[in-house]
Amino acid sequence: MSVKFAELVKPLPPIQSRYGPPPESIRKRAYELPDIVSVKVRDLFPSIPQPVYPSEKGVNAVREATEKALEKVDMSIIKPGDTVNVLGSHHGFTILGGYPYAEMLRTIKDVMHEKTGTDQIRLRVGVGLRFKEADEHIKRHKLDEYYDGKARGIAPIDEGIPVETEIGTLYGIKAAYDAKWIVHAHNSDVREIHFHRHVDRAVKPFGMSYARIETRSTYHHNLGPRGANFVARAIFSSKFVQDKWTFACFLKPSPAGILGVDADNDLFALDKRLTIDNFRYYGRILTLLSSIDECIAVLDFSCPIPYVFVAGMIFANFSAASVDIFDLDNPLPGYTWYTEALYDRNDKPLIPEIPPINPAIKALVINYSWGGYPSVFWAKHIPTIVVGEKQAEVFSSDPQNIEFMKYSVKADDLETAIRFAQKIAGTDKILIFDGAPEALNVSKSLAEYLIKKAPEIEEKMDKELIPKWCRQRGIA
Amino acid sequence: MKLVSFSAEVNEDKCTGCGICARVCPTLSIRVESGLARVDTNTCAGCGACVERCPLDAVKLVSLEIPRMLGIDPVSVDRQKLVEICRKAKIHPEQIVCFCTSTRAEEVVAAILTGAKSPEEISRVTGVRTGCKTECIQPVLRLLYAAGIEPKPVEGGWQWYGKTVTIWEISDELKQKYSTKGFYFVEDENLFKKVMEKIQNR
Repeated sequence: MSVKFAELVKPLPPIQSRYGPPPESIRKRAYELPDIVSVKVRDLFPSIPQPVYPSEKGVNAVREATEKALEKVDMSIIKPGDTVNVLGSHHGFTILGGYPYAEMLRTIKDVMHEKTGTDQIRLRVGVGLRFKEADEHIKRHKLDEYYDGKARGIAPIDEGIPVETEIGTLYGIKAAYDAKWIVHAHNSDVREIHFHRHVDRAVKPFGMSYARIETRSTYHHNLGPRGANFVARAIFSSKFVQDKWTFACFLKPSPAGILGVDADNDLFALDKRLTIDNFRYYGRILTLLSSIDECIAVLDFSCPIPYVFVAGMIFANFSAASVDIFDLDNPLPGYTWYTEALYDRNDKPLIPEIPPINPAIKALVINYSWGGYPSVFWAKHIPTIVVGEKQAEVFSSDPQNIEFMKYSVKADDLETAIRFAQKIAGTDKILIFDGAPEALNVSKSLAEYLIKKAPEIEEKMDKELIPKWCRQRGIA
Repeated sequence: MKLVSFSAEVNEDKCTGCGICARVCPTLSIRVESGLARVDTNTCAGCGACVERCPLDAVKLVSLEIPRMLGIDPVSVDRQKLVEICRKAKIHPEQIVCFCTSTRAEEVVAAILTGAKSPEEISRVTGVRTGCKTECIQPVLRLLYAAGIEPKPVEGGWQWYGKTVTIWEISDELKQKYSTKGFYFVEDENLFKKVMEKIQNR
């Protein structure tokens, strides 16, 4: 295998948001530190296909891929004048600046209008725990104009609607379902494996982004770490949703970039395809990252702590990776809310089955991240250094993180934070979660480790891990 | 426990009295009077639900001069009764039910045993449901039901609609039906049983 350090790959710049520090307060990005190199994902794993985006075609490549994917979709049920809600999610906008996802949403509207004749197409974008985030993305990408003034964010505390399901009454957000038809427009990357365990990944937004608090709470408290995503299946399979269902259209990211777009009238068929692809591509990178024995994690991206990326993997997954989180024989990952809930008042696990947060993370440096997600768990379990006053204010003024700074220390600048982290951690290996496209930005020592380890992981994937993960989910 | 450092403040020049802020407030600290939203700063927990859902950005959080602590010491109530309620709800007393405020089941039950009869009253005492406002309603309802209280949703409010299913109530037939699709209901149920067995020993 010929592997070389790539030219340093710049991450996207910080963005203005009510949930993050002012972009101008981020004085230095982590990739600018001395000794940081870039390793291209496809140099580590050549079996991961060449992405269509980023590419010289720009977002036009996504438009073409969306048009092609939608050719095979039957939209004949939608008649001229029918109302259609295109259901999206904030998650898609965090991938590569949101440009490919926004283009897919624009293209869905155009193709649907052309194929069905309806001009009553609305965009409804769900959120996680930052209720205005979707509106920020809509504005940033001018989607309200594109959707003729019919685009809006929806939140889990908005007015609800009961949905009768196989497991009783659950609740959706009324505005998600206030059209005759719905289109499910999402992204297929693995993202919250610690929550959904990659069981019905494509269905999850019906239990989250489009769901009310009662449903989300059922997911995180009532059903268990490997059954939680059943609430999504229950809602999706309900008569209420099926009576409105048309098709799904998914952006297909990989650790190396956007591979294309997939669409189908049959959501479970689409889910099966994306599951296999995700095991192939994300499975490789997560297994590689899980093999790291020690490192300093540096967060440097426009998302809350768990959602910052490296090579398409979110920090929550790396935190959880003290066990193989795709392997359903492991009841609990090192991080998930079921795990967090089961620490006693002395912060010790209630039962021995609780795995620790990934012990490879020796220190955590937060150079840039958003608030709006309960994150004190990390600060309690990992030595945490926050860079700069403005970043510290993000946490101390956040109702979800009032106590975060109680368990963290603050450094004036990134260099000081890193020096201190290295003393605590006793390692020079640095893994940067900055969302850099197609590459991992890491210290030279970690780059050398990853390059050496990748062939060993490659060997294990197709023979051992992927067949086991598929078998556990009933995929032949 | 939750440290309340902020309170909601309404910009009367922007407010139209639409009432969305009152419908989403988890502590019922906002009323619309004479066409304007009014905040009771004595009970507002500074969660920001009103700020985040006001369509006109007419509400903001302002720092309190003197922050106040919400919380109740579980030691202050009858331990046996507390454990009984937790057992009935199938939640370990030390289990965290609100990730933002690190509120544990035993604090919620302590609030119930000292007179709280609804999620809103429990939130005012413990701070539960005043962080993300999204994930913790079900354990609160489960503990209320286990204490023999069936709270009613606030009329016209969007605070919460109802209690939902737990793993313990899913039928064996359904568990079996989906066991080959990756849903490990039985195994997860056994995991929770182990957690509950720990109550005696702690």
